[in-house]
Amino acid sequence: MTSPATTTGPVVRVRGVTKSFGGAAALKGVDLDLYPGEIHALMGMNGAGKSTLVQVLCGVHQPDGGTIEVDGHRHTGLNVRRARGLGVSSVPQRRELAMGLTVAENIMLGDLPTRRFGAVDWKAVRARAGAALSGLGIDIDVQRVAGSLTVAEQTMVEVAREVRRGGRVLILDEPTACLSARDAGQVRALVRRLRDEGVAVVYISHYIDEVMSVADRVTVLRDGGLVRSAPAAETDPAALVRDMVGRDVVSRRPERPAPRDEPGLAVRGLSHGHAVRDFTVEVRKGEIVAVLGPAGDAQSRLFDLLSGRVRPDAGEVLVDGRPVPPGRVGAALAGGLRCVTGDRRSLGLVQSMTVDENLMLAGDRFARRRLHRSADLARRAAPVRDAYGVVALSGNPPVGSLSGGNQQKVLLGKWLETEPVACFLEDPTNGVDVAAMADIHTLVDDLAARGVAVLLASSSAEEVMRLADRVVVVSAGRTVGEHDITAITRDELVATALGGQPQ
Amino acid sequence: MSLKTPSAAPDVASGGPSERRAPSRSTARGLLHVPHGGLVVVLILVCVFTALQADAFTSSQNLLNVLRQVSVNAVIAAGLTLLMTAGGMDFSMGSNAAVTLCVGAQLIDGGWSTPAVVVVCLALATLIGLVNGLVVTYTRVAPFVATLASAMLLDGVALLVLDGMSVTIGDKMSSLGNDEVVGVPYLTVVAVLVLALTGVTMRFTTFGRDAFAMGGNEHVARLSGINVNARKLALYALAGVLAGLAGLMLLSRLGAAAPNTAGLQTQLTAVAAVVIGGTSLAGGHGTVVGTVFGVVLLGVVANALNLLQVNSNYQLVVTGGVLLVAAIINEVQRKSSPGH
Ligand SMILES: Nc1ncnc2c1ncn2[C@@H]1O[C@H](COP(=O)(O)OP(=O)(O)OP(=O)(O)O)[C@@H](O)[C@H]1O
Ligand SMILES: [Mg+2]
Repeated sequence: MTSPATTTGPVVRVRGVTKSFGGAAALKGVDLDLYPGEIHALMGMNGAGKSTLVQVLCGVHQPDGGTIEVDGHRHTGLNVRRARGLGVSSVPQRRELAMGLTVAENIMLGDLPTRRFGAVDWKAVRARAGAALSGLGIDIDVQRVAGSLTVAEQTMVEVAREVRRGGRVLILDEPTACLSARDAGQVRALVRRLRDEGVAVVYISHYIDEVMSVADRVTVLRDGGLVRSAPAAETDPAALVRDMVGRDVVSRRPERPAPRDEPGLAVRGLSHGHAVRDFTVEVRKGEIVAVLGPAGDAQSRLFDLLSGRVRPDAGEVLVDGRPVPPGRVGAALAGGLRCVTGDRRSLGLVQSMTVDENLMLAGDRFARRRLHRSADLARRAAPVRDAYGVVALSGNPPVGSLSGGNQQKVLLGKWLETEPVACFLEDPTNGVDVAAMADIHTLVDDLAARGVAVLLASSSAEEVMRLADRVVVVSAGRTVGEHDITAITRDELVATALGGQPQ
Repeated sequence: MSLKTPSAAPDVASGGPSERRAPSRSTARGLLHVPHGGLVVVLILVCVFTALQADAFTSSQNLLNVLRQVSVNAVIAAGLTLLMTAGGMDFSMGSNAAVTLCVGAQLIDGGWSTPAVVVVCLALATLIGLVNGLVVTYTRVAPFVATLASAMLLDGVALLVLDGMSVTIGDKMSSLGNDEVVGVPYLTVVAVLVLALTGVTMRFTTFGRDAFAMGGNEHVARLSGINVNARKLALYALAGVLAGLAGLMLLSRLGAAAPNTAGLQTQLTAVAAVVIGGTSLAGGHGTVVGTVFGVVLLGVVANALNLLQVNSNYQLVVTGGVLLVAAIINEVQRKSSPGH
């Protein structure tokens, strides 16, 4: 079943698809062939048009030009419903489960089995949803509420739902962004299993290693155009990066000045519910300390507590030696603590506001500006846009229309340019392309070099190895160990993250 | 005439824009990209139709009358635009105006000097707004529910203040209500000032931008260092003071306070005007210019129906139809703009 491509034709054949938004081209004549039983990786920089291409495929956007053939039949005017009817389904960049419903309801949504008089047959709902999950080897209790799932579990539930609906072409838009190594592994195993069952999988990811390990074929987009489409075996990571970026990208640990001997950020005995218990860490000025272990829920809880959004049950936070009153956003900000969320959509950016305004949202409030003029705003935002490499198709659109990675850059620009004393960064390179990742790592390096105390919560071991001076291991919400980055290897780091202890 | 108009009037509301689109698709497309283009077309159609059907419409007396009527609603709608943009809602502004109106009339009747009455009334209205704000901010009751409750409560209070009678104030405030400066009624001057100030606030001040941020995403606004609670209190207080101002304007125009003047019905008109103007019920979007069009459109429609002697039962039907059509046009226009 490894190369059915030679025997059968493509399920989906895309030819010369173009799409522009308000006059600016996002796709410029892209071709794509999807074969059953093949994992087709789609790669490219932020804003290259990956999401737009797959949204055209699954009927979210109508292409301006070009053709889409499914099973050899040409289809025009695809919408989400018809695409799904043809077996093309997608798990979008942002998970879209109904968070208040149970896993079973989410899987069966739109197709709830009923008894007489239209009463929902809950027993059948649970049974069929359970079967859909176990058929894919996923072990999640169908009675849990979707909101209580980790991001990885949400991804898997969405995949199961699409497969149950008869998806023959399954599109996954950055399914492993923000996932811990173990969770990402589970998602990849699921994808391979689907491939072996004959599904054509489109897999979007910014992680080169991941793509090399999982993909059968790789298509690279740049600026809305097709650069290369080739079997994964015929390419290597360096060539892939060159195709995407147009040049080589090197990201190496630089020599940073040694951390100063003053504590920039000290957290003592921070506790909240079960997720965070007695969390203690000290970060010196100019030092980057990574927190390892608390993926997903616990990590965002840490954000809530440090930012002052949620009042902790116990514990104290000191910035620059001064205690910060707990549970008050204003106090944390005034103390010089900046927390960058990993959930840019609901906690990071105002989607309906423009890029410039989002960039300056926090800075202008700190500066106590009373007046707001857009020309003035644009002038102040321009250097930040440049420094963080924010790219928009046109001028100053609402931030919600930017590609995912560009939104992430706006989020970082918004916070890191506000003279922080200490920073908490939650997955700072979530959904960002290789080139931008290197840029953001440099920016974080500079931040530390300026004497800012940086606390980093990242799900990527590479990122921790690249940035951190020290790693604090957290297990079940408690600080259980501490390692100098020079005294630990990447593999030990991954093992530690998975809950074990390095020997 | 009265036979033909009931069927003709709804036609204007519903058939208008589609008729226009037929002759040239490109102009219709173009209109979609002009802010409030659809709304302007509807407004012009209604005006032209009414002017053709009823000569009285264009008489200066009638136009001044429309302006005066519209001015009071405009003041309420201005405050509401800012509040709704910030994700809030206040159903009690009309009732707040009613209370102000009745209290003002009683005080003047009781021999108070006009400036003192104005100060007391505005203070009272601000206080009412502030209480709304406190309830919404600190009890987390949905603004819709909280202010609907206070609307009913205040409507009752207004009746209690009047004790079932009408109170006339003579000509104590009649110059504000009935005089003009270079042909423009004072009331309209006040309304234009309020609208302009609101527009400038929303566009050029951090206070106004905070409202957009809060309406767009309250969590983000809070985390970005905006004192969301204080802003909410200020916005509800502002809605209160504008409601009070509207109440005084109404008092000066009518020269008397009678039971069931203003109140929830007035407020619904203002909400409709703001929604017609494209302000989002969910917050995050809103313009004063749109609100002006909305207020004027509803004012003109009401006036047209009066002049055309449409059976009053049809008046509500037509007004509802206008609201619906305008809301649909807004939605179409929003969808076709780039970036959602
Ligand atoms: N609805 C929209 N309105 C305006 N511009 C849009 C819209 N959707 C996408 N764009 C623009 O189209 C371009 C391609 O976006 P797309 O989301 O496809 O990028 P991407 O390759 O998925 O990037 P990322 O890796 O950051 O997710 C971007 O420049 C984006 O700003
Ligand atoms: Mg994308």
